[in-house]
Amino acid sequence: MKLSGWDALAARQPALFALVMLGLSLVINLILQPNMFARETLNSNMRVFLPIILLAVGQAIVILGGGIDISVGAIASNVNTVLATRIGLEGSPEAIWGFVFLSLGIGLLAGAINGFFIAYLRLQPIITTYATSFLYAGLALFILPNPGGGIPASMAALYRNSTPFNLPLAFFVILIILLIWLYLSSTRYGKFLYAVGGKAEAAYETAVPVTRVQFSTYVISGLMAAFSGIALTMLSGSGNADIGGPMTLNSITAVVIGGNALSGGVGGVTGPVMGAITLGIIQNIISFADIDTWWETFVKAAIIVMALAAPGIVNLFRRRRT
Amino acid sequence: MKRISISPPVAALLLAVILFLLSGLLPNGFGSNLDVARAQALNILRLAAFLGVIAAGQTLVIISGSEGIDLSAGSVVTLTAILTYILVNGADERVLLALLVTLLAGALIGFINGVGITFLKISPFVMTLGMAGVVSGAIIVITHGNVVGKVAPIMTRLIARPLSPNLQIPNAILIWILFGILMWLLLERTTFGRNLFAIGVNRVTARLSGVDVTRMNLATYALAGALAGFGGFLLVGNTGVVHLQLGQPFLFPSIAAVAVGGTLLSGGKGSYWGTMAGVIVLTLITSLLTTMQMPESVRRIVLGATLLILISIYGRQRSLRQ
Amino acid sequence: MAESLSVRNIVKHYGGVVALSDGNLDVQAREVVALIGANGSGKSTMSKVINGVAVLDGGQLLLDGNPVHFPSPQTAKNAGIATVFQELSLIPQMTVAENIWLTREPLNALGQVDRKTVNARTEELLALFKGTFKTDLHSDVPVAALPPDEKQIIEILKAISFDPWLVILDEATASLDSRQVQRLFDLVTQWKEQGKAIIFVSHRMEEIFRIADKYSVLRNGRTVGAGNIKDINEKQLVKLMIEKESVLGFLRGEARSDENVEKEIALEAENLTTEYLQGVSFKAHKGELLGIGGLRGQGQRQLLHSLFGDLPYSGTVKLFGQEVHFKNPREAMRKGFALVPGDRAKEGLLYIRSILDNLLLPSWRRYGLPLKVDKAKKNAAQTGSSLNLKMAGLEEPVSSLSGGNAQKVVIGKWLMREPQVLLLDDPTKGVDVGTKAEFYALLNRLSEEGKTILFYSSADEELIGLCDRVLVLHDARIRIELAGKTLTRGNLIAASLGASNGGPE
Repeated sequence: MKLSGWDALAARQPALFALVMLGLSLVINLILQPNMFARETLNSNMRVFLPIILLAVGQAIVILGGGIDISVGAIASNVNTVLATRIGLEGSPEAIWGFVFLSLGIGLLAGAINGFFIAYLRLQPIITTYATSFLYAGLALFILPNPGGGIPASMAALYRNSTPFNLPLAFFVILIILLIWLYLSSTRYGKFLYAVGGKAEAAYETAVPVTRVQFSTYVISGLMAAFSGIALTMLSGSGNADIGGPMTLNSITAVVIGGNALSGGVGGVTGPVMGAITLGIIQNIISFADIDTWWETFVKAAIIVMALAAPGIVNLFRRRRT
Repeated sequence: MKRISISPPVAALLLAVILFLLSGLLPNGFGSNLDVARAQALNILRLAAFLGVIAAGQTLVIISGSEGIDLSAGSVVTLTAILTYILVNGADERVLLALLVTLLAGALIGFINGVGITFLKISPFVMTLGMAGVVSGAIIVITHGNVVGKVAPIMTRLIARPLSPNLQIPNAILIWILFGILMWLLLERTTFGRNLFAIGVNRVTARLSGVDVTRMNLATYALAGALAGFGGFLLVGNTGVVHLQLGQPFLFPSIAAVAVGGTLLSGGKGSYWGTMAGVIVLTLITSLLTTMQMPESVRRIVLGATLLILISIYGRQRSLRQ
Repeated sequence: MAESLSVRNIVKHYGGVVALSDGNLDVQAREVVALIGANGSGKSTMSKVINGVAVLDGGQLLLDGNPVHFPSPQTAKNAGIATVFQELSLIPQMTVAENIWLTREPLNALGQVDRKTVNARTEELLALFKGTFKTDLHSDVPVAALPPDEKQIIEILKAISFDPWLVILDEATASLDSRQVQRLFDLVTQWKEQGKAIIFVSHRMEEIFRIADKYSVLRNGRTVGAGNIKDINEKQLVKLMIEKESVLGFLRGEARSDENVEKEIALEAENLTTEYLQGVSFKAHKGELLGIGGLRGQGQRQLLHSLFGDLPYSGTVKLFGQEVHFKNPREAMRKGFALVPGDRAKEGLLYIRSILDNLLLPSWRRYGLPLKVDKAKKNAAQTGSSLNLKMAGLEEPVSSLSGGNAQKVVIGKWLMREPQVLLLDDPTKGVDVGTKAEFYALLNRLSEEGKTILFYSSADEELIGLCDRVLVLHDARIRIELAGKTLTRGNLIAASLGASNGGPE
């Protein structure tokens, strides 16, 4: 199967598609909102995008390994409700760190539960994480039945105003994540990940520890969902058990835009990060475009479906051509 | 794992009976009062009828295999309920028209699902989840947040009330029984049904035996959409009110019910009777929780855990080691 | 480095099917042992038990005389056992280098994969097969882009990259051309000198006699013979491989190629070309039992499936003089075609459904709406009894049937439709002797009734005994047509291997 020039490039660099989409959406956004790159706007945008970016990173790794995690939104909600209730508006900033670690613990535990059922009991990822998403969502609601609670205003302000070197805090978070990924993907574990996602039976025959690798991807996803929950809490300043719900589909869409194959084994983390930012910008564009408020939800949902459909459409044309 | 020797629908029915008897033992349960027991049983069945109809479409797509599922069922129910509400607006003569529109709308959405799944190779979970968002957006567009309409008296008469004062069985139950018989006919006494099981077991064999897999796929999802639509129609006829979250609480239980009823989540095996038993079990669980005055969060946790336990028993896949 | 591996009395089943009931093997350093057996004899299962992919149900493995246990592929690898798998163990999306070094990548101080070393060592390995590649093969080509023979070579390089003491070559020469096979055999000789042991799983006689020192024969899951290659000849080996009981009594004695000349041409193909097939042309007469021969994977499946409308093709196909071009199996069915596929579990049956459901699958439309299930049951029972189908009941799942009876269901579902053209892809594979005899009788009867049958078999004696003519496929083309006097075992084998004549007989 010889690949022609453009196809070969696209196959080697799946993130190319994401880059193009990102570029396009940036341009359109710039047109509609000329001050987009002004310090305040940029900071504000990136703050809003960060939770979904974090979620997309975890989702990307699970999907790379051949699975999928529908419970990420629910895990983030859980963390959010725990933080909002435990810390409270009068909470002391010092106790914060304890709760941050608690949140990460929640994420790791939730991920481990997912990983146990999927990797060790060999249940189907979609239905398992769908079941756990309901479980975790219920837990979040149990902790915080009505939106409320909160974190100290000083903390939310910290998140809002942090701009080291005049750049949004989010930039540095993304940078750290990408650096970690750069390292991880160059280790044996990285190769294992691609192998398991590419063709699990072949990986097994090659003595790759498939079960452990699969388990680890869900733990990572849970961890990233916890980080996302923390960022969400800092962003909104309060708690809401349903806050994570819509984010799950967005995280999957970000991964698809990012060029990763939903079947696994193809792509990386850079693409999905770009995909998450693109998704955020598209939501901005819709807000700025002169669309009737009543149409906004519909348009946003339709764009998500189109983004999910895009690889399929591209493949359809490719198949017709041969 | 020990082999379960009772057939799942029978096991589910037994479970339902046990749960019902348990409910009688609760403080405001029926105790030893047979009349109250009968009334409560009928109430459960009446509530179950609606979930039952909504779960019918879910049964079909899950039987069709390839990780078939319909996450748009909840939003379709809401949409069709609202459409009925608006179209009928209290007029008996418009009921039939509303029913038709309802079925068509559901079928159209289902058809779009089918197209994305079959031609664009989008996984059923992702596609139907995306469409759920689109339909929700469409609902907002149609209603502008505000629904104006009314149910027609004939609907309440036919759905909510009993057929005759002597019998005291709400019509909804009779409709459900009739519906169940039709579903049985569809699955066991039509070529469509036989082919549905075939593609659920093995698409290659089905294709090589002359089944038009593409057409079956499209038809199944369209039919599932139409059935969800019918569910919405019945629901609004029963309650007489609509709101934007009308269908959502039925989504997860519809999937769990199919699983409880023993339909393999991998496809190719199952029955609507099983789903009916599963629906009764789930309605009983929900009703028990309500009687015990458990909040919504506990309901979610219990449902999530139920599905998780079920798939651990029924849904384990082949292990890597042979 | 270990010196010997012994496999003793291995038992292995998959569900209800017994793959091995008494598997034995002895292999020592510095020798090549050929593991021989017909398809379904248990050769692959034996390899899987040795390399840790499958868990044995009985028997033991002895490494240098000591009992060992391989609960996973990793433990076998640690013991120095490498396998070149028949169904390649390569990850298509990863590159050549990544595949070869997977789990054993050289690392730098930070734990990262050392790209430079990887590439250098990969090039070293690739150099072993220098001059035999058709494409520009280097370390960072994705494996998915390679042709089958180069994929096979990468699989081989992957196996020897960690310097194992025992190499299992499971049908490793299946996709290689003659130059590559020669290079591989040169390497095998080198490995012997280095002290390695090799298990060569194959059914290619010519190669076995070229490279093996010892042999071990499996038949129906049991080891039936072993010894030195120089003490045996091909005829004797073949005799060990096939059933002792002769089924030839059920086959036609003499080939009757002349009788069909006057009969009309039922099926004709001209320059049939698919992704793999390169222009196949033939004519089949009405009522003829036309055989297709050759080693597995030479295009037989493609031929049968494209005629059935399952694969796209170019070229002309005529049915009774009228041109047809089926775009899907349904169209072929409507014109009276039937296909019994080569893999009945994956392509021919709905394994968890009932016998009734399987028999009626293509035909439900004929039973009205709502389906007259009683009539269907009656018809199915009739077909079942005419085929002498041994079953507990129509409602039993087809998985409860033995191989032979399951195959009867596959044929039965088509016979219920009275097809006029039957395409059979190795229908007696994995079928017991008694059922085979029934099949032969059935095929003869169908042919006498005027049905046209295209019949691929990997068993030579079937083709010789049943068919008037045999088209032998090799390398995606019809190598030769054998009929009458030329239809002999020797000619069949020779043509299957691509030789023009000869072969010891």
